[in-house]
Amino acid sequence: MLIKNPKLSRRRFLAAGGAAATVLAVGSNVSVMKAVASSKNTNTGKGDTKHIYSCCAVCVNKCGFIAEVNNGVIRKLNTNPNFFKSRSMICARGNAGAKIPYDPDRLKSPLLRVGERGEGKWKKISWDEAYSYITENVMKLIKEEENRSTIAFAATEGMQEEFYLALASTIGSLNTVRHPTLCLASNIQGYSSVYGTFPDGDLLNSKFVVMCGSNRAEAIITPDTIDMAKNKRNQTLVCIDPRATKTTAIADKWYPIKPGTDLALVLAVINHIISNDLYDKAFVEQWTVGFDELKESVKKYSIDWAANETEIDAKEIKWLAEEFAKNAPASVWYPGRRSSFYSNDVYYRRAIAILNAIVGAWDKPGGLVPKSAVPLKAHEIIYPFYDLVESRIDTGKLDFIKDMVDEYARGVIPTDAGVYLSEKDGSWPIFREAILKREPYTVRGMFVYKQNPVESVPNRAKTLEMMKQLDFICTIDTQMSDTAFFSDIVLPESTYLERWDPAHNLSGIQPIVVFRQPVIEPLHNTKSMFDMWVDLTKRFIDIPEFWEDTTEDDKEYFVEQFEKMLKPEHPIEHLIEYQLSGHKDGFKKLMENGCFWIHEKPVFGTTYKKGKFKTRTGKAELFSQRYLDKGLEPLPVYTAVPQPEPGEFRFVVGRHGQFTHANTQNNMWLLEAYGDTENACWISAKVARERGIKSGDRLKIKSEVGEETAKALVTEYTRDDVVYYVHGFGRLSQGLTNIYKKGASQAAVIKDYVDTISGNAALHETFVTIEKA
Amino acid sequence: MSSHTEAVKSHSDIFNGNKRIPLSVIIVLLALSAVSLYGLFNVITQGHTASYGTTKTVPWGILISTYVFFVVSSTGLCLISSMGHVFNIEKYEVIGKRAIILAILTICCGFFVIATEIGHPIRMAIYNVISPNLASAIWWMGTLYGIYLFCIIVEFYFLMTHNHKGAFYAGLAGFIAGISAHSNLGAVFGFLDARPFWHGPYLPIYFILSALISGCALVIIIFNVAYKGEANMPAKAKEALLGIAKIFGLLLGIIIFFDIWKVLTSVYGAPPEKYEAVMTMIAGPLSINFWFFEVLLGMLIPFALILGTKGRSIKAALVASCSAIVGIFFMRYDLVVAGQLVPMREATAGSRVQGVVEGLAQYTPTASEITIVAGAIILCAGLYLAAERFLNLTED
Amino acid sequence: MSNKKYAIILDDTTCIDCKACTLACKTENNVEAGFFSYRNWVGEIENDQAVFPNIRRKFRPSQCQQCDNPPCVHVCPTRASYQTEDGVVLVDYHKCILCKYCMTACPYDARYESHDKHAIDKCTFCYHRLAEGREPACVETCPPKVRKFVNLLDKQDENTKLLQTEAIEVQKPEKGTKPKLYYIK
Repeated sequence: MLIKNPKLSRRRFLAAGGAAATVLAVGSNVSVMKAVASSKNTNTGKGDTKHIYSCCAVCVNKCGFIAEVNNGVIRKLNTNPNFFKSRSMICARGNAGAKIPYDPDRLKSPLLRVGERGEGKWKKISWDEAYSYITENVMKLIKEEENRSTIAFAATEGMQEEFYLALASTIGSLNTVRHPTLCLASNIQGYSSVYGTFPDGDLLNSKFVVMCGSNRAEAIITPDTIDMAKNKRNQTLVCIDPRATKTTAIADKWYPIKPGTDLALVLAVINHIISNDLYDKAFVEQWTVGFDELKESVKKYSIDWAANETEIDAKEIKWLAEEFAKNAPASVWYPGRRSSFYSNDVYYRRAIAILNAIVGAWDKPGGLVPKSAVPLKAHEIIYPFYDLVESRIDTGKLDFIKDMVDEYARGVIPTDAGVYLSEKDGSWPIFREAILKREPYTVRGMFVYKQNPVESVPNRAKTLEMMKQLDFICTIDTQMSDTAFFSDIVLPESTYLERWDPAHNLSGIQPIVVFRQPVIEPLHNTKSMFDMWVDLTKRFIDIPEFWEDTTEDDKEYFVEQFEKMLKPEHPIEHLIEYQLSGHKDGFKKLMENGCFWIHEKPVFGTTYKKGKFKTRTGKAELFSQRYLDKGLEPLPVYTAVPQPEPGEFRFVVGRHGQFTHANTQNNMWLLEAYGDTENACWISAKVARERGIKSGDRLKIKSEVGEETAKALVTEYTRDDVVYYVHGFGRLSQGLTNIYKKGASQAAVIKDYVDTISGNAALHETFVTIEKA
Repeated sequence: MSSHTEAVKSHSDIFNGNKRIPLSVIIVLLALSAVSLYGLFNVITQGHTASYGTTKTVPWGILISTYVFFVVSSTGLCLISSMGHVFNIEKYEVIGKRAIILAILTICCGFFVIATEIGHPIRMAIYNVISPNLASAIWWMGTLYGIYLFCIIVEFYFLMTHNHKGAFYAGLAGFIAGISAHSNLGAVFGFLDARPFWHGPYLPIYFILSALISGCALVIIIFNVAYKGEANMPAKAKEALLGIAKIFGLLLGIIIFFDIWKVLTSVYGAPPEKYEAVMTMIAGPLSINFWFFEVLLGMLIPFALILGTKGRSIKAALVASCSAIVGIFFMRYDLVVAGQLVPMREATAGSRVQGVVEGLAQYTPTASEITIVAGAIILCAGLYLAAERFLNLTED
Repeated sequence: MSNKKYAIILDDTTCIDCKACTLACKTENNVEAGFFSYRNWVGEIENDQAVFPNIRRKFRPSQCQQCDNPPCVHVCPTRASYQTEDGVVLVDYHKCILCKYCMTACPYDARYESHDKHAIDKCTFCYHRLAEGREPACVETCPPKVRKFVNLLDKQDENTKLLQTEAIEVQKPEKGTKPKLYYIK
């Protein structure tokens, strides 16, 4: 029964290049701030004022800033004029970050549950007590199950996540589950299947941008959001979304597409471009495979058919296709980020990748451009081989998966297993289901870092059920998330403003490296994830039983490397120095500029220089033999998704500019900027009239999996067949005092269908009914 | 005319008060005025914003309008009384002391109310002097009202001591200060180009006119109170009151005329913001205030009563006066509030215009504000009765 | 005479309502928490005629207009509201008596009562930063750089030239306040 997997257990520690983001540059507004940042003292405020470089952690973008610290108190986070990736900006969330360390709702000490789970009764304990509790429980579960993978590790990205994954590797579990399958797994899969990589859109130079299902104005990604907004007057932006999001403010057109039909639109556009000879023949010939098969397969997708399917005017589709081709290579069908829409999402992502390929808008200014990164060195820790390790719980053939795929998709995606699950990321919906079903084995403990599955993973009731089933849950966070609230022990992490974080590569069209240093000392009894990993590892080193299923050599080698890492007084500062040691004065430059880059100018055409794509054929694979081999559709095929019955609405999700996922709603400053203490359910004016609903009326929003109550927001900004409310409200944690039980939760009503190709959740497949409460 | 020696001699009768006023009523009123402690306690412990219904959009509420109500009354009393001892219309000399003491009490109560409204009343006293802004109508109003109060106190002293010459000069000074201060109060609103409903020369003039009406009504009321009705009234007093009643009627006629044109010019052609503001009174949130209190009680009923009795019935004049005073209280409220109900910015999503519903700002007085207002009015009445009881306010 | 007259030129067609300006202002100027305590704001321009699917959303960031002819300064009884030589309207919090006359006088609803300061407060163009050669916080932080901070007397400045080259509007010009927030149409 026991499985040893050398490839998986020998984890790389601090792998270069994170999951993260995007693109390039144009120095802006550099003039005055440089002087201020370099001078030690300014007249601002009284007494001792320091200006300290670091970078943001409120969302994934990690924008560089200069913290202004006055007598040990953060006064302001100012833009770093060197940080070209953000075009030297700090958004609302970044600005509100200055208040995060002082948030009264912060976790200030390790907490041990004393009442029932979710009762909200806690005892403050020391770190020592916390570590003892954790190691005892971990040991107990591993021994009883004879399987280190019985402890699961859930996490979301962050510059200390590597240390958390190091903890998983130290303990020896293979069951890590990360955020991408709640986000962009299908996107990465779709693009990679064509190009061998997940590229960025060069929105700085694009002349024609199609933003379909993405909302860059509210879901800020640097530099895309900023470039797009700045280009308002010299770029055509087409916004395709069932809701008129804030992106429509900078868009030239808005098509309220019928949800679920995006693929129909793209296929018709591809067909129109091909059949009218508008594609880039030279590019197609030299750099792609499978064009003829593509041409044949899209023939049936006419513009009129697509117009009928998508409810977008045929003339508009024709215009869109022609403009897209005309502006190529400076045209982008924007890849977007969160792509967890439908079970067949990968095919849509593949289709838009293909569309960009046939017009040759690849690796040229204004098109799709592969990301590059600044080379950084990485420490490697070789973890011991443990015998008592079983492979991931969400891989392999699993019976229950068929129930997680809606009927319409069963013909086009597998129903017995996740096909391309990432080794570290797994698939959240499948992972949870496997734990619930105890298949193929029992997971009994869970660590959660920085993530809040209770509110992030669709079907909240199931997540709570899963947690109920676990014997031990330890959550590490800066605030009492809902997941922390239902945990047994909660460890308080120092905020990003109170700690060192290793250098981090922000790959993109113009890569740049950031790092973090404490701008203030920790205000409370908190630790960084690094410290927690170190402390817990020390504890485990002292427990002989922990090492029973590995060799003495392995243990010794591991301990040696571990201790070497801790030698310097500031291990992370030292680590950063090492990471940048491949660049002359790299560390010095990083400290002096707050970020490190090799050249500011974007680089185009590396694909052409190298002469091949990172695919099996070395070309952009319009037709995917790889997919065919796996039993998938080699070319994107359209499958109509079910539409709501009369009286039903499709529940769609979407972002808001003041909130990062479910993280920042409790920040009073952002909540205030958002403008309310609860969310509101968008409902179209027409439907509201028919049903006598007025803005402010309480509505019951009911799906197969849950029911929530929210006030109505009657609006012209939405289609009649969808409803929407902002994520992150209706919370269960009493520790989130500003939003506890305020408004409605998305996770509570969204069904947990899955895209089995990438493992991505399908968040738009839920129908709800609406009633006045 | 009395000589100086006579004045000194008559000192002994300064405190020869009006025994008809029962002490118990005074005590009850003064005790009841403690209701304002509720509001005062709230504002001291919780601050203005938490205690009052005023908002960013409607920064001035019932405390301001009550202040206006008080100072309008004060000015009116002063102006009416000046007919006697300043302009030497003999038949009105009889009203002097009573009108002036009530003028003093009303303005003091007005100051009390405004002190509870202003965030820094003490700072105001200091910076009004050391950092004056001569372009500010509030500065002028405050300063002139200060001078005015001083003048009418002196005037009252001279009246009590039968120093008619002194009373004349002090009265004249008070008259000028009162007119200036009061028209300045009108200008506080009239200067605001931001608020078309208030802006222009109308309000300074209107304020003087409405002050005279308040003055007439209050004089009629206090004489009836002092003599417990017409039956006990000496002939001189009756004669004065009948005269005042006729003036009252005339002024009511004029103010009706003013109001009609104010409304017509605000409605005709729907001038922006003015129209919306006046519509809050005609068919909006202030319509009950406007039609029932302001128009019916404040103008039509009193005007009809005076007109119907040809100004020859003191009883009718009394009813008319009471009705008018209630109406005028609401008139002040409507004036202050209506001017602010049209928001300065459109209350769209994100604009953070506070408390706007369907294009109009909302204002509802809180219990704190209402108790302060009620307390101040009761206090004023109690103090007046006390003055009546303990001071000799009867003109020989 | 000062050789400076500060103003802000805005191209709000690029505004995405992210509220960075509001948060930057709140932290920079220690503006207290509160839905109605703010020095700047971003309001949506709503159009009654906008009916699905004919929608064009638009946002307008705004703040104190730093009027050249400021009614708030005229009406303030204690000269707590005053105008600097370089045209910035400020409040001396120690002189403010909280009579709120300026609030009724301001046609832009740009002022609020600060409970921390116990005085009326509003945008200062981050006057303390100007002395250090820094732009106002809202200008600096803005992702698409909707706002451009200019010295109107510096005619050579590229941004100042926008006032000549672009179609410009100001808010409530009929009030005669001569506002110094210039919106590019």
